[in-house]
Amino acid sequence: MRLFREFIKGLWRENPTFRMMLGLCPTLAVSTSVSNGLGMGIAATFVLTGSSLMVSLVRKVIPDKVRIPCFIVIIATFVTITDLFIKAFTPALGRSLGIYIPLIVVNCIVLGRAEAFASKRGPFESMIDAIGMGIGFTLALMLISAIREAAGSGSIAGIYFSKSFEAPLFMVLAPGALLTIGVLIGFMNYIFIKKKER
Amino acid sequence: MNQIARFGMVLGVICLLATLVLALTYQVTKPKIEEQLKKEEQAALKAISPYTDSFREKSIDGINYFEALKGGKLQGYCLRITANGYSGFIRLMAGIDLNGIITGVRVLEQQETPGLGARIDEVRPGENAPWFLRQFRGKDSRNLEVKKSIDAITGATISSRAVTEGITKAVVEFLSNIHKGK
Repeated sequence: MRLFREFIKGLWRENPTFRMMLGLCPTLAVSTSVSNGLGMGIAATFVLTGSSLMVSLVRKVIPDKVRIPCFIVIIATFVTITDLFIKAFTPALGRSLGIYIPLIVVNCIVLGRAEAFASKRGPFESMIDAIGMGIGFTLALMLISAIREAAGSGSIAGIYFSKSFEAPLFMVLAPGALLTIGVLIGFMNYIFIKKKER
Repeated sequence: MNQIARFGMVLGVICLLATLVLALTYQVTKPKIEEQLKKEEQAALKAISPYTDSFREKSIDGINYFEALKGGKLQGYCLRITANGYSGFIRLMAGIDLNGIITGVRVLEQQETPGLGARIDEVRPGENAPWFLRQFRGKDSRNLEVKKSIDAITGATISSRAVTEGITKAVVEFLSNIHKGK
């Protein structure tokens, strides 16, 4: 039951994007289409799971004072592995995500979970936490990108729903991302406040 | 001092392990990545140089290019072009016939703004080739100009111009090299 709670908290109560406001930079950048959002989410989830597991395994060996460089090395290793595999097996995704894959290294969610969770808990728990957070991040990315893609390019997951619909371009540009994320965060806060009042 | 040595050692061991893992992954994925790039290039070659059946890679003055052949007879050339886009390089491939008339253009790699510059590579629903690049076909590669012979993409003049000028510059340079070589 406790494990399940660690898993589920990333999806809603402690959602990295909407509740903890972590990893917003890649979120703004890649949520222009659903396929990009999904690709980024899966890549980040893999990195998050791998690095959380490793950090948790070596947490007793690493001296406290050099823990951050150690974490970064572990994270960077997983990111590079992901980058190489994406380039080798899904070149189309690699092209559209471009620079944002290497930038997972500095995604605050990954280091955040390593620091706040994996460096204090066992490997199994850390993995469950990381998978939950990863899925939460992926779902958030997909929700944002579905709204932006539908409004900004008139398609969902690459399928255009109308030929005559001239989409407002700013939705796939940076302002559209800020607007979409802002409204969604506001909406979620509203739900949480309502819940508390009851 | 003792502590510093210990910190250094732990960090060193972790880095060493990370390097080991990365070297292994690199070895495994390298042939795959190269194969993917080759496949992409082959697909682009076929698209930009229709009515030809084989390609031969050649090099002049350190520039690699392809000769497009049909039944062993030279029909034209295919060039790799790197243009300076709005955000980073745009890698293109352009095919020309022996008179310098463009037979096709394809984008291999670009990092232009999604929704604006990235539309240089956009394929409209129901079509099979990017609409922006299609207008190059049949035009003289040495005499291209945005707004005159080429329609720019709305809101993406820089990207449109980068592609157009990149092609002209590369082809002019290439043709003068070829003529010199003969």
